[in-house]
Amino acid sequence: MAVDLVIAAIRAVVMLLLVLNLSAILLWFERKGSALIQDRIGANRAAILGVGARLGLPNLGIVNTLLADPIKMFTKEDFVPAGADHFLHGLAPFLALFPVLVTFAVIPIGDTVTIGAHTFDLVAADFNDAALYVLASIGIGVYGIALGGWASNNRWALLGGIRASAQMISYEIAMGLAIVAVVATYGTLSLQAIVREQGGVWFGWLPRWGIILQPIAFLLLFTAGMAESKRVPFDLPESESELVAGYFTEYSGGKQAVFMLTDFAEVALVAMLVTTFFFGGWQVPWLYRDGFHLPGGALVSIPYWAVVVLGVVAFWIKTIFFCWLQILIRWTLPRFRYDQLMRFGWKLLVPIGLLNLIVTAVVVVMAGS
Amino acid sequence: MAARVVKVARPQPMTRRWTPLLVGLGVAIAHFFRNLLGFARGRQDFTVYFPEQRFVQPPAMRGMPVLVQMPNGKERCVACGLCEFACPTNCITIFPAETASEVERYPEVFDIDMSRCMFCGLCEEACPEEAIVMSRQVEIACYSRRGSLWHKQDLLVPEAELKPRLDYLRPQYARK
Repeated sequence: MAVDLVIAAIRAVVMLLLVLNLSAILLWFERKGSALIQDRIGANRAAILGVGARLGLPNLGIVNTLLADPIKMFTKEDFVPAGADHFLHGLAPFLALFPVLVTFAVIPIGDTVTIGAHTFDLVAADFNDAALYVLASIGIGVYGIALGGWASNNRWALLGGIRASAQMISYEIAMGLAIVAVVATYGTLSLQAIVREQGGVWFGWLPRWGIILQPIAFLLLFTAGMAESKRVPFDLPESESELVAGYFTEYSGGKQAVFMLTDFAEVALVAMLVTTFFFGGWQVPWLYRDGFHLPGGALVSIPYWAVVVLGVVAFWIKTIFFCWLQILIRWTLPRFRYDQLMRFGWKLLVPIGLLNLIVTAVVVVMAGS
Repeated sequence: MAARVVKVARPQPMTRRWTPLLVGLGVAIAHFFRNLLGFARGRQDFTVYFPEQRFVQPPAMRGMPVLVQMPNGKERCVACGLCEFACPTNCITIFPAETASEVERYPEVFDIDMSRCMFCGLCEEACPEEAIVMSRQVEIACYSRRGSLWHKQDLLVPEAELKPRLDYLRPQYARK
């Protein structure tokens, strides 16, 4: 019993650390990658005693973004404006970050592992209602943003908070419709079970990934997820050309860093959700428990522990690919206008989601009878 | 007169036109990978790594105004005061004095307050002796207000270093 608890705690802590580190790496990639896209150099100055330069290494700005920036942010003055609600102002960033971080608990990053007498899945907390849990915890995220805008006693911040709540509620519907369509397809709410369903092949070569069954739901979930993460082209809540900085106008230092971390954690979350629902999670094409069954019929057998490791690596490769794609989109598209945003959400995504759900339901019932 | 109604063909909202978005995404991806591969090989880029490398400005560039130093070490300025008079921000201060040389006058004090100078170049235009010219020097940040007050000894720059600017100026002002 005690060992089970320790294993559960280790799974939770490892997942949390993986996510936080991925967010930090995304923060670095956001700066260096955007520089690549825009033919710039990007952060390349900060170094520790010039060690890298002495060894002849190019300065990739890692010290800049992963060390100097956080130190600067957490040692800056934590300013609370006059007239702001001190308690809510301090609470809001954490209320925004918490729901995002707890959502990662149900994301499966690997297959079943057996150590001694203990058998467990590589997921922090696998339970049967995981898909509902994802929707619920993403929905709570809007409170932190709206509260942050409200508690700042600042017009721009309040406007940003209101925009954020309108946008997130609108796009949650499209997101929910996409997830419901996937759930209807696989007949289960557990993410680990959904990933297992995506193992195997059709026609002897085509991986049974969700993207082939539900391509429209993939577009819906990816778009709505990008809107949920409040980044360009959906960054109306913080549109700096209109609202100074939106809902975190009055935040500085560590609290602002927490809001930034929330943004990048959401990017990672959307990437992981898309991977889990539509790209087979930790499934590697043609890889079964005993090894690769190549399309020609050949069998390359590898030990089970290697299968698990390959699965984890595949999951992270897919996740990082979708993080990359989101950052690329963020540096490509201009911001929507507010009416365009609402029209896009309510008149395009929601009807398509409803139609997709109806077609899915009909097909599932026909196939079942 | 009846108002004329003009039908203006407005472009469709962005949400209806997908192709430009995809083209833009393709451009971003192309730049990303081109520069990523370039990074590995030491890429050709336009950025000048400033403290290590410096961009040599073209002679038309108006940087900090400086005094021309003749080969004998003296300033060419004869303290006529025209630049002081021409200066819109009154940042030039000249105290003339007499000297035994053939021009008879020289500036005992020639101060330029760089915190007020706006790099218009009117002093250079007013100067009949080519004694004050705009240099390429732009790195004039300092830690105190006192540091932005430049005296005559700091302002003197040998004529040879200013040759590109002088060559550029002569046809501009139809001088020989």
